[in-house]
Amino acid sequence: MNPLKPVNRPRFRHASPGAPGANSPARRHVLRAALASACVLPIGRAARATTRTVRVLTAYPDEVLSAFEAGFERAHPGLHVQWIWRMPHDALPYLSEPGQHGVDVYWSASPRTYAALANRGALRRLTIDDAGLPERIGATLLADPAGYFRATEIAGYGWAYDAAALGKLGLAVPRDWPDLAAPGWAGRIALPIPARVGFAPVMVDLPLQAWGWERGWALWSEIAGNARLLDRGATFITDEVGEGRAALGLTIDFFAASAVARGAGIAFGYPQHNGVNPGSIAITAGATDVAAAEAFVRYVLSADGQALLTTPTIRKLPVRPAAYAAQPAAGFNPFAAAAAGGLDYDNDAGRPRLGLIAALFQQWLVLDHAELTALWRRVHDAEAAGRDVTAARAALSAVPLPADAARDPALQRAFEQIEGGAAGGPAAVADGWRNAARVSRSQAAAALEAAGA
Amino acid sequence: MLAFAPTPSTVHAQARAATPDDELRATVQRGRALFRQNWVIAPSDDRASGLGPLYNRISCVACHAGGGRGRPPERADQRLRAMLIRLSVPGRDAHGGPRPHPRYGDQLNEEGVPGVAGEGRASIDWRTLQRRLPDGTTVELRRPRITLTEPGYGAFGPVLMSPRIGSPLFGLGLLDAVPEAELLRLAAAPRDDGVRGRVNRVWSVAEGRTVVGRFGWKANAPDLRQQIAAAMSGDLGISSTLFLTQNCTPAQAACRAAPITALPELGDADLDDLMRYLARLGAPPRRDADAPEVARGELRFVAAGCAACHRPALPMDAGVFAARLGVPPPVVPDCAGVIAPYTDLLLHDLGDGLADHRPDYRAGGRDWRTTPLWGLGMADALDPPARYLHDGRARTMEEAILWHDGEARAARRRYEALGVSGRAELLAFLRSL
Repeated sequence: MNPLKPVNRPRFRHASPGAPGANSPARRHVLRAALASACVLPIGRAARATTRTVRVLTAYPDEVLSAFEAGFERAHPGLHVQWIWRMPHDALPYLSEPGQHGVDVYWSASPRTYAALANRGALRRLTIDDAGLPERIGATLLADPAGYFRATEIAGYGWAYDAAALGKLGLAVPRDWPDLAAPGWAGRIALPIPARVGFAPVMVDLPLQAWGWERGWALWSEIAGNARLLDRGATFITDEVGEGRAALGLTIDFFAASAVARGAGIAFGYPQHNGVNPGSIAITAGATDVAAAEAFVRYVLSADGQALLTTPTIRKLPVRPAAYAAQPAAGFNPFAAAAAGGLDYDNDAGRPRLGLIAALFQQWLVLDHAELTALWRRVHDAEAAGRDVTAARAALSAVPLPADAARDPALQRAFEQIEGGAAGGPAAVADGWRNAARVSRSQAAAALEAAGA
Repeated sequence: MLAFAPTPSTVHAQARAATPDDELRATVQRGRALFRQNWVIAPSDDRASGLGPLYNRISCVACHAGGGRGRPPERADQRLRAMLIRLSVPGRDAHGGPRPHPRYGDQLNEEGVPGVAGEGRASIDWRTLQRRLPDGTTVELRRPRITLTEPGYGAFGPVLMSPRIGSPLFGLGLLDAVPEAELLRLAAAPRDDGVRGRVNRVWSVAEGRTVVGRFGWKANAPDLRQQIAAAMSGDLGISSTLFLTQNCTPAQAACRAAPITALPELGDADLDDLMRYLARLGAPPRRDADAPEVARGELRFVAAGCAACHRPALPMDAGVFAARLGVPPPVVPDCAGVIAPYTDLLLHDLGDGLADHRPDYRAGGRDWRTTPLWGLGMADALDPPARYLHDGRARTMEEAILWHDGEARAARRRYEALGVSGRAELLAFLRSL
């Protein structure tokens, strides 16, 4: 079926002469006035072709939805987008039910949900022209090898910061993750809790892949010791920075960019070791109007759709490299960054362990955070005073789960978590990590005492 | 590697919510999150569950981008998006308000959750007309023609319609705290040019009685809390203790049978957070207020008679603000207790050109509440292109002025007679608001 050809329905007659009370004096009076008005049409003037609806399940914010709705409907008169909004963890069961609630398209930044849906047979293979759309960026696949979904936008990780606050504190803008472990950042970093904030587990995994399990976790322990933790909820990382409660906040680029577009006086920086989080699109297995669904997918991936992503209030990174040609030379081009080796994070390799990472972070670095921060301050103070606190540093840096054990697929599956969903996993295992962390902190405290710190 | 650096701050309502008080900040941030929340169809374990069954948009911000105004579609094949159509039939409801359409209720909900048909579509096309000013300048105006199509629940029949774009959200808490006695005083005060403002008398759900109306294009809502709750119910299908039932008419069986997570879907604490967030949004500070052209424009604004209704000063009771809204007022520039909303919050007959011929409590078909003008100059910056007047027909501030008639005819004619430079100065003043 041609998606551009509207389905004709019988004409609607505006008035119903046989309706009850049609001849009452009050009604006649108002009708006379109304019919004289510009706001009401006489009988039979209302003929219009019926629109066809594409139901799109998504978790994007209104800035994205409004722009794409307007653009798509302008490009395809007769087709209408209806947004069905659900967070990724809620989308997975919704799209796994029979009939899929009439949803035609799934469009969201949730790689784990797409992988799960494809495995469950809930998606239909895409058959769209992908000319000009790369298969990967850096180490991240942009197209599902099996053809069930394809990235429509990407987002990079990094930090929002208040340049003026950094200047007053004598802190340079960080260039890479290890810079955030410096003592000067103590209490100045806003850090989203990975088990609670959907984008954060991949962010945690970036240094783990870049520096390895032990060194990466040691970095996170020290960064967490410098940080204030932020839960999912009303406040934003960009609020914390923009309103002066933190000098720097770990976040995704578009959050910072949209805050800047709304007037926040902040900037954003990308680390040298980075990766991207792809937002993808797929057509559901039960799509009732495949042609219309494909029209929507094609629009999102088109030059016009990709250009919408660069709107200041949206500012997501297009997956069509040609879209960067129109951007300012100083703008961030992830394809150029990837070519320079800056986007080497492998999403596919990281995905199975993200839930495990978030749970481990929770037990080790979140639940007893006050104690952790106090100990790291003592370590930093002692090191500044020239004392040898190597043992304390080592104890605080020791990850409670060895790398080999973390590679266990069964353990990874036990802690599987969809973006934004509830954390799971065996309590006994999680308690074990927490207890091990307690022991390490006790050892660190004892070592500090012994060193006179 | 740096990606982007700060741009000069735009004046955005959100930024005005910043506050050093932790508790206040928390309630404002919760309210902002609710304002931006995309609502989820029930059943769901999401906290923001309960969209519909019939609705217009899935979030508040969809009709008030950046805290600003909505806009109409430019073409007949485009949907309403940041606009809605009020519906009624002749007569009054039990409280003197508009009598809802028996099948479609009091508002056209274009969308329905899966399994529930949307109520239909409103298609708007435009007819243009030329207005020739005394100095020979010609201005093109346009007026909407609305057609209801694709009825989901049978013929609409004779129906009264009133198109409304989303209103700007500046300073709503401050307007809530303008003493009722002041509105009554203004209504009774004699004015030149045949101007005579009237208060609307509307039903307060919370108080169970008729009170003075002050919010909405026809001043048909008594206070900020009810205005928000009504919009949540009418636009999103979200129930609250003020509007506890789902927005389904008896003819809409699938709507009435749709799953419900809980009633109310928006709890009192959430409604309070939303109200307090909006209450704390002040008006953008003026820009270029000291520029000579702007200063001359302000004098012309007053001399033309615009300020008779678009009043530059109203008293605001900070104690009432805090008592009614549960938070202190946002910082008020100029002298304490006096705000500059450029409205009298009263109804005025603006003539046939703007009339919707749909009574709304005591507001007649030609009556409209004086629109607050604060923040007007930011409209294009917040969500371009800005559209003005209740149905967004005016593409420029000048077009909006030229639609004024009825009680505003004399003021409009003075504006038309100003000449090119005088009109430019007056418009420069409006852009500074």
